[in-house]
Amino acid sequence: MPELPRVPDDPPPFLGSWRRIYVAVLIYLCLIIAGFYLFTRAYR
Amino acid sequence: MRTLDWFVLVTSLVSIIAYGLYRSRGSDTVDRYLLAGRSMPWYAMALSIMATQASAITFISTTGQSYVDGMRFVQFYFGLPIAMIIICATAVPIFRRANIYTAYEYLERRFDGKTRSLASLIFLCQRGLSAGLTIYAPALVLSVILGWPERATTFLMGVTVITYTVAGGIKAVTWSDVQQMCIIFLGLVVALITVIVLLPAQVSFGDAVYLAGAAGRLNVVTTHFDWNDRFNIWSGLFGGTLLFLSYFGCDQSQVQRYLTGRSITESRLGLLFNAVAKIPMQFFVLFIGAMVFVFYLFIQPPVLFHQAELARIQSHAEFEPVANQYSQAFERRRQATLALVEAHHSGDPGAEHRHAANYRAAQHEIDAARTQAARLVEQTGGEKDFSDTNYIFLSFVTRYLPAGIVGLVIAVIFAATMSASSGEINSLATVTVVDLYRRYVRRSASDHHYVLASRWATLFWGVYAVAFAGWGKHLGPLIVAVNVVGSLFYGSLLGCFVVAFGFRRVRGTAVFIGMLAGEAAIFAAFRFTAIHWLWYNPLGCATVVATALLVTWLTPGGGVPAEAATPGMRQPG
Repeated sequence: MPELPRVPDDPPPFLGSWRRIYVAVLIYLCLIIAGFYLFTRAYR
Repeated sequence: MRTLDWFVLVTSLVSIIAYGLYRSRGSDTVDRYLLAGRSMPWYAMALSIMATQASAITFISTTGQSYVDGMRFVQFYFGLPIAMIIICATAVPIFRRANIYTAYEYLERRFDGKTRSLASLIFLCQRGLSAGLTIYAPALVLSVILGWPERATTFLMGVTVITYTVAGGIKAVTWSDVQQMCIIFLGLVVALITVIVLLPAQVSFGDAVYLAGAAGRLNVVTTHFDWNDRFNIWSGLFGGTLLFLSYFGCDQSQVQRYLTGRSITESRLGLLFNAVAKIPMQFFVLFIGAMVFVFYLFIQPPVLFHQAELARIQSHAEFEPVANQYSQAFERRRQATLALVEAHHSGDPGAEHRHAANYRAAQHEIDAARTQAARLVEQTGGEKDFSDTNYIFLSFVTRYLPAGIVGLVIAVIFAATMSASSGEINSLATVTVVDLYRRYVRRSASDHHYVLASRWATLFWGVYAVAFAGWGKHLGPLIVAVNVVGSLFYGSLLGCFVVAFGFRRVRGTAVFIGMLAGEAAIFAAFRFTAIHWLWYNPLGCATVVATALLVTWLTPGGGVPAEAATPGMRQPG
């Protein structure tokens, strides 16, 4: 099998760094859990 | 199935094959056949990852699960974003810079050949067992719902998958997955709109949500911790994270998806799209199940949703009193539900509490009648631990949805089966050729030779999956056992990769012994304890890491960092 060519590692297309994107995803997770919790309480 | 349904179903299947074959042009080198020439955009990878993960039984079961138990199953996915972040930060750059075809190929560079081979064999055992069931489970449900022979549904799904997967490799699989996910999204949206439209005129969408909540079907988050409860926020965040780390970090059927990206950035974006989109999607699927439950508050559902079993027990004398009790309880529940809506509209909390209590009493009687009917199934020679959860959604679809939409939903089930199955047989073929055939049989051959070998391996695993699915009905309770068997292997694989990424001083022999110890610990827990199988994963992972570190510490010179820890330093044969 032939050697595979190297792949480029570009910066993320938004928010400037991957660390910021990961933090944004974690904030999103917290918000979605909080939203679901409120939804559960509202319709309990 | 009416003519329009057949038209929609056949058009969907033909377009999936045609589009997959069209997109697979040029898959004539091993790089293109197995990794799509590493040219895939992030959105194609993202949808392919989502499609491979979502098998048909996910849609069939998840809606049924919501009908029976509410929406708390969504918490199982809370660990997914955390796992995706960890994988994007660790596995993605390491795998991509290592220039590998399989995750296990990396293990030879990091450790040695025996560790790679052991991990490959564990993957083939685990994924090979589930390959047949991925086809068999929805084929069984469809055959019962549509009245088709099991072999017909199995054969139709199998031949479709094999055709485009053998012809086009990963490129065909990925682009077909994209199209299949579009069909799945469309089908789900249409199904939800239709179920809401079918509600009685006096019940608004707001009333339907209120009733679903009052019936305990909107219990999305449960904060109470219970070791025996699979679905709460804690098991989702902890157990779910570990499970998805194993799945997306160590399972070639997922790893191969993000190895096809044109850059590390594209691979990361594909995974992060899933981190963001998967939970709302599961919420949406579960919400459909909750709305189906509300629909059946006004229209009497069958005592059992498994039509064949229901028809069988109807001839027994014991069935009639059960059916009568069920009908009377349903009518009481319907009256209580209408009164509850009325009280909700008038804003009278006292009346709401009173009618809610009446509703619960009637629901309790309905549950009791269904339990008695299920017991009757078992007593009259039916399967043990009978459950009709998987038949609820499709039973609703075929009874109440209009012509065309039934065909679309059946197409969704076919599409989901094909996307999950094609990903499985493609990854099984890749590991067979790259990690075993090239490693032990033909170390250096032409590119064309390996493409041909990959096509044959894909054909082999496709035929194996169909054949195994054909024998599924003879397995009986083993089908449940096979799901448990899958969990017997993930922990060791995860532990191996945790050591590979996190402990540079550990060498091959130490992690190899660690994997054997991990498997021994899991099998001991399986054989001699009552620990739930969800905990085998952390147990196996922890045992591998602890044993590998202990062996390294006891071995003279074991504290020297491994040279091969730098990806790409040592090339396998």
